[in-house]
Amino acid sequence: MHRLVSTDHKNIGILYCVSAFVFFLVGGSLAEVMRTELMEPSRQVVSNETYNTLFTIHGTVMIFLFVAPFATGLANYFIPLQIGAPDMAFPRLNLTSFYFYIGAGVLVLLAGVAAAGQAAAMGWTAYPPLSEIRLSPGVGPDLWILGLVLVVISNVLNGVNILTTVFLMRAPGMTMWRLPVFTWNMVVVAILGLVAFPPAAAALTLLLIGRRLGGLVYDAAAGGDPTIYQHLFWFLGHPEVYILILPFFGVITEIIPVFSRKPLFGYTGFLLATLTIGMLSTGVWAHHMFTTGVIDNPFFAAMTLLIAVPTGVKFFNWIGSMWGGKIWLAVPMLFSIGFMLNFLIGGVTGVMLASPALDYQAHDTYFVVAHFHYTMLGGSVFGIFAAIYFWFPKMTGVMLSEKLGRVVFAMLLVGFNLTFWPQFVLGQRGMPRRYVDYASGLGYDTPNFVSTIGAYLMGVAVAVFLVDVWRSLRRRTPAGDDPWGGYSLEWATSSPPPEHNFDELPKIRSLRPAFDREHPELAP
Amino acid sequence: MRVATRYFVLLFLFASVAGIVYWFITYEAVGTILLLAFACTPAIIAVFAIRHGSMSGRRPEDDAEADPATEAGEVLGPFPAETVWPIFLVLGTIVTGASLVYGLILVPVGAALLVWAVLGFTRESRG
Repeated sequence: MHRLVSTDHKNIGILYCVSAFVFFLVGGSLAEVMRTELMEPSRQVVSNETYNTLFTIHGTVMIFLFVAPFATGLANYFIPLQIGAPDMAFPRLNLTSFYFYIGAGVLVLLAGVAAAGQAAAMGWTAYPPLSEIRLSPGVGPDLWILGLVLVVISNVLNGVNILTTVFLMRAPGMTMWRLPVFTWNMVVVAILGLVAFPPAAAALTLLLIGRRLGGLVYDAAAGGDPTIYQHLFWFLGHPEVYILILPFFGVITEIIPVFSRKPLFGYTGFLLATLTIGMLSTGVWAHHMFTTGVIDNPFFAAMTLLIAVPTGVKFFNWIGSMWGGKIWLAVPMLFSIGFMLNFLIGGVTGVMLASPALDYQAHDTYFVVAHFHYTMLGGSVFGIFAAIYFWFPKMTGVMLSEKLGRVVFAMLLVGFNLTFWPQFVLGQRGMPRRYVDYASGLGYDTPNFVSTIGAYLMGVAVAVFLVDVWRSLRRRTPAGDDPWGGYSLEWATSSPPPEHNFDELPKIRSLRPAFDREHPELAP
Repeated sequence: MRVATRYFVLLFLFASVAGIVYWFITYEAVGTILLLAFACTPAIIAVFAIRHGSMSGRRPEDDAEADPATEAGEVLGPFPAETVWPIFLVLGTIVTGASLVYGLILVPVGAALLVWAVLGFTRESRG
């Protein structure tokens, strides 16, 4: 009970991470059911309506209740440690934000299990008119909307807390240009959250008013405009992609130099690229609306192509950091390399989809599904596993198994690519997304079969990971304060850290205060 | 803080210019309003930071030569250990919101929970 009401940032960080992982298991299970249904032509497992609910709740859970909150959990735990602060700036606000998130999760799950014909089944984007009450009756969509409004509140509170903490609670000597990259990336994520979430709250509130109080903003028949919803939603939706990926750019940028035994290559360039991504990500929202015919396609195509440049810069930082280094292929590094490979494919196909001509062909096909899973699952989720294997020893004081970790990595990498590469093929062959069934003989059978086998393999990988965590917490192999030879300040305190984080702070004279303390002969 | 202030100013300029350019290219109102509203957010923070000299001035964390052992004398005050009020605040919010779906009968219950939570927060923060 004490853990559920404690305002200590480390406790709240763990609450976030554990809750988010539970939601990952829920969302992943829904995906396994969908893949089972699609393994062969004809219907086997679920009804049409249930399938619609499955992909609605799967998307919502994975985006709003798993990846972003997991990053928030890491931020809660590690930002104060990385900047040398005793806690977050607003501890009560922090816990409040967590409970808004839990409330959101409960509402979204209730939306999925509402009585037959009443569950949310309008897709995670909930476009009107499909999400209007005449086409999506029942309480499920309303609970879903309320849940997402709580997600918005939670994220805004988090953004305020993170910015205040980083700007006003850094240790003496921790200048902004000495901030660890994970913390910097979370600053940009916090700003994006403050900017992008409120319009989504407006979109959702107008939707609820339309459903329950007779509002007509999105009703074309009454002179409204349903594309207003799309504008408002995607003004969150696309920065949200960066809200989901930037934290894990930060995570692997913490990991790669440590496991290459070199300083980060191009710290300033990396940060400028992050800041540029933060700015440009607010100007690309309508590339999700190319086919609506009501937006200026060249403007959004140009902005989308532009944002690929700072994203590409990061690959140079990562490769430059590894180049000539003494690379240690421990599990966190393996997941970081997996992240790079997968995200590269996700990014390149994103550039392809930035072309309206190609997007018109690929829109609403499995090509898009494969693309965003390569960024979100191949990118963010590999980043999450990298973070877990990297920081678990700091959070618990015990090591995870290196051997099982390698097994998890291998199965996830193979399983992930088996699942989603065939979906590029499906998309090219024209299979639409969100269909519960397909006819045999259209070239969809084999890719769907392979994709489902891959999904099962990923399920096994996650099960092995859970065994690894359970076994490690039972065996308690001590990690020591700094098992990896880490660079940033969190490695300069005990594992797990004491209540107010540091008994004594080292001098901060570079990007690597923990390393400087251990190797004074190399310190600046 | 100066680095942060500069970034907020930069964000304001970017969003303002993007909003104006977007309007003259597309004449589309929703996106223009979104971009200009986006410009306001960092502008508010930047103006606050610039006007408050203590924030934009030099603090130990902005001093590259500062030493935590000698310069970290600032007392941050006590940190709250535990609180149950966030749970009631969220419950109150959910119940009030659910009144739109299940009927206005829930409003008094939700409002009571919200008031109780706010009073609890206030009492707690006064020690």
